[in-house]
Amino acid sequence: MKRILKICALAVVAVAALITSGMFGASYYYTTQHGAGCAGCHEMASYVSVVHSSAHQNATTCLDCHDASMATKLRHIAIHLSGRIPEAIRLRDVDVVAMTANCQKCHQKEYATWHAGPHSATYQQIFADSKHNSKRRLMDDCFRCHGMHYSGPVRELVQPQNITGPWHVVRAGFADQPTMPCQSCHWVHREGQPETKPSTRISVAAPALDDSLAFFDRREQMHFAAANLALPQLYEGARPVHASPDRRQALCYQCHASRMPEPSTIADTNHWGPQVGSGDDRTPLGVHEGLSCFSCHSGHNENARASCVTCHPQMSHCGLDVEKMDTTYANPASKHNVHWVKCVDCHTHGVPKPKVQRTAALAAGQ
Amino acid sequence: MAGGVVAGAALAAGCASRGRGNWDFLNDGQAHTLAAICDQIIPADDFPSASQAGAVTYIDRQLARHYRRHREAYRAGLEQAELLSRKLAGVSLSQAPQKSQFEVVTAIEKEQPAFFALVRSHTFESFYGNPRHGGNRDAVSWRMLGLDEPPVRGRAQYDFTKGAQS
Repeated sequence: MKRILKICALAVVAVAALITSGMFGASYYYTTQHGAGCAGCHEMASYVSVVHSSAHQNATTCLDCHDASMATKLRHIAIHLSGRIPEAIRLRDVDVVAMTANCQKCHQKEYATWHAGPHSATYQQIFADSKHNSKRRLMDDCFRCHGMHYSGPVRELVQPQNITGPWHVVRAGFADQPTMPCQSCHWVHREGQPETKPSTRISVAAPALDDSLAFFDRREQMHFAAANLALPQLYEGARPVHASPDRRQALCYQCHASRMPEPSTIADTNHWGPQVGSGDDRTPLGVHEGLSCFSCHSGHNENARASCVTCHPQMSHCGLDVEKMDTTYANPASKHNVHWVKCVDCHTHGVPKPKVQRTAALAAGQ
Repeated sequence: MAGGVVAGAALAAGCASRGRGNWDFLNDGQAHTLAAICDQIIPADDFPSASQAGAVTYIDRQLARHYRRHREAYRAGLEQAELLSRKLAGVSLSQAPQKSQFEVVTAIEKEQPAFFALVRSHTFESFYGNPRHGGNRDAVSWRMLGLDEPPVRGRAQYDFTKGAQS
């Protein structure tokens, strides 16, 4: 009997020792060698390789962003052994949600501005909005911009599927999660260089296009780099609109998109393109035509507050405080949308000459 | 504990990369030879070449998944291509000058027509197919054809309560 007890005790000690060494060994295995431990599985090797040439090349380990819990690693092994290895390894929707918190660890300022704005809207705010849902039916295409990482159909997220409500987010754990997390517009595993301070504070060169800027297309389950996205030529009726060539806007256009016109004649159809202001488009017209979205808006939270002073102290023709004019900037209920406001909207009998003289440099076009 | 157990299990399951580099099926040498053949089929011009657009990644992934039946053809075909290159150009195909590569690939087309047809077919699939499969990197061929991907699609601001005219 004593002998059996001894053997049992030794077995327990051996298992405990194995577990203890395993814990520290595992931690060491995955947190050292700059991702080499993860790349030991050949399915992961190319992904580790890309990170080493990305803006995150200086991140210490894969675990800075990714989960390597027991459950996760066992799941990976199960997939490997089953032979059902996906063509491309993607984060699941729950992983994307978890990663947003990991982004915050380093990108605290960006996280704070994003969190303070509408781009951090939660599933509850978007999909249980009675004002919207009582007029429009929810559909899977909503996820194209609101929840591009959500993997299921809308009926599994929100119930009931009607216009009477009341609506509830029924998928557990998602109600308070953001519909547009960092990975919606940023491609983390993308070749690029860590961001550095510009050599000059004011540059006349085109705005820099961050390597990571990309749109996550839910249908294709992959990112498309902002540099390769379309910048549509928009029209006001038949007139081509002058738009800023700022490539960053291509990302905005994926969701803040215009629609094709509904002209009354066949001839118009042949000459008209996507119309400014249709759909969710907010391309500037009138006094602001040619400005980039980013001239006024912060990308992370859309905030355009205090943006007027960037240009108007020098350039206002009216000599008036533009922030107090009758536009949607001062009053959201105004009939003059600040994106499209024109001088003639207020000066209906003709636009007077400027009261403020432009400086010689501006007049010379410098 | 998690990692230790998993690492042990992974090794036991034979998960180690076994010198494959970043490839699922090919080894580095085979990948370089295949890239050289693909680039003679679709060379770079104003747009990237087949290998720059991910042709080798596409073929490698498919050989580890849906195209397992073509594994032997690729093993034998790439080996023969290397032998042919050393015979005609004196060096490995991937290290031969462009002109020599073209001559070697032309010879492959004549001497291994079935293998060449297979690679050509897969190269076209990779270049013009969906980027999600590993080729057509950044949808380069679709942009070459003037297609915007993803398309810019606005939504109608309809009001369901006002009927069809809204």
